Amino acid sequence: MKRTVDVSIPVGPVHPCWKEPTRVKCETRGEFVLSAEVELGYMKKGIERIMQGRPWQEVMFLAERVCGICSVIHNMVFIEALEKMSSIEVPERAALLRVIVNELDRMQSHILANFSYCYTIEHETLGMYLLDSREKVLDELERITGARITCAYMVPGGVRFDLRSEDALHLRASMDMLEKEITRYTGMFEHGPLIALRSRGIGILTRDAAREACAVGPTARASGLPESDRRLHHPTYRKLGFTPISREEGDNFARIMMRFQEMLQSISLIRKCLDILPVGPIRGGGIPGAGEIAYSGEAPRGELSYFIRTDAAGRVIDIAIQTPSIMNIEACCHYMLTGVASMADVPSTFVSSDPCIACTER
Amino acid sequence: MTLLQSLKNFVRSKSIHVAYVDVGSCNGCDVEVLACLAPRYDIEQYGIFVHNNPREADVLLVIGAYTPGWEGKLEGLWEKIPDPKVAVAIGNCPISGCLFNRPHTLVDPPVSKHIPIAAQVPGCPPRPTEILSAILSVAPLVYRDYEVRK
Repeated sequence: MKRTVDVSIPVGPVHPCWKEPTRVKCETRGEFVLSAEVELGYMKKGIERIMQGRPWQEVMFLAERVCGICSVIHNMVFIEALEKMSSIEVPERAALLRVIVNELDRMQSHILANFSYCYTIEHETLGMYLLDSREKVLDELERITGARITCAYMVPGGVRFDLRSEDALHLRASMDMLEKEITRYTGMFEHGPLIALRSRGIGILTRDAAREACAVGPTARASGLPESDRRLHHPTYRKLGFTPISREEGDNFARIMMRFQEMLQSISLIRKCLDILPVGPIRGGGIPGAGEIAYSGEAPRGELSYFIRTDAAGRVIDIAIQTPSIMNIEACCHYMLTGVASMADVPSTFVSSDPCIACTER
Repeated sequence: MTLLQSLKNFVRSKSIHVAYVDVGSCNGCDVEVLACLAPRYDIEQYGIFVHNNPREADVLLVIGAYTPGWEGKLEGLWEKIPDPKVAVAIGNCPISGCLFNRPHTLVDPPVSKHIPIAAQVPGCPPRPTEILSAILSVAPLVYRDYEVRK
């Protein structure tokens, strides 16, 4: 079919609003975006090729560096896959500590995503408030694990460090403070009239389109697909009585609100963990052996899957990683961006799906 | 040095524009550069403005271990930055390739093979304070006696 296209506008690879290099090519007629296409390939490092043939002790650190923003979940999924493969038991205290650290990581990732969105629609005040809260979350992460970004907290059979009682008190106090702050920022975002003009009804991803595009994570849940949450299948989250949240609108506003709501949910999950945290060991025994497994977990951006095959010495023979962002980028380019009324909404719509290029390309 | 020149040097060192480019890292250093914007570190109180536009930048922060996708493009980007300019390597990746520099990798570190690097901030990732102090230490050098040197 012949189409009238005025101009094809490239956005990126170096763009003021984007943290990482990627390029979106938009075919436009006037300001109206007819179709969009993403061009990847600026960050391909070949991590899976480096991983092959290396012992798990090394692959553990490489897995963490697939993505720097959600490093904890990459560590967690890799280690839990090894544990499930070699049937290594985890003490209950360690399992709960893993959930605490994972939820802290999810919070900081969601805050960063919402900061990026607020920065893109030029609501810098709210963006800076959010970055300030993120530092508080990172402080807690550093107090528990010893590092801000790449913590390598989980090891097969448990976790590295115990949560001291004074740290638990501090964590509770921080959660109270963060809950207050995030509730306030959620209100600011929800009731801001100018934010609504830039966000409501823009970049709509309907429920059927989300299912067709295999969208995952907050992007899918904002379009009414709560069952996409992999935490429903995790034994520790099940014990905590986790139920996913979802929204129906499927526009930019819903995706950002979804993340705000998930932050509050993370806070309540951390509190629940602290309430039932038993006294006991944090590390059981066990070393990974030979086996083959496919295992998934819920990253801040959606479902993260690892396929691992190891030999008897614990060397990784074969590994494949599927990260959530690629599905969301597909959904963004083929469904959200088509029909966006203005070029100015292209970066904000792209950012609202929280693309992480580093883990997409690896 | 004339009084006018030293005045110029002082004033110009207090207004630095920063752009950052990720040439293949894990994203950890990007978020630490973003954390510099946070009110706790507040990079703008030192007169440094991060807006990621290479055409107006004075300092280019290079993050990552030079992937094949950036072949020729990083050099092009460096050309587009107007003189005077410096590049600062953030993290281990642009210095040595960190743990991506192994057999079968696609990356080609160090970045200093491709563009001149004035300062290096090692760390995986470095703390925001370290990034901030590195930018502050190169900031006075960017413009100093620029007319004379030219």
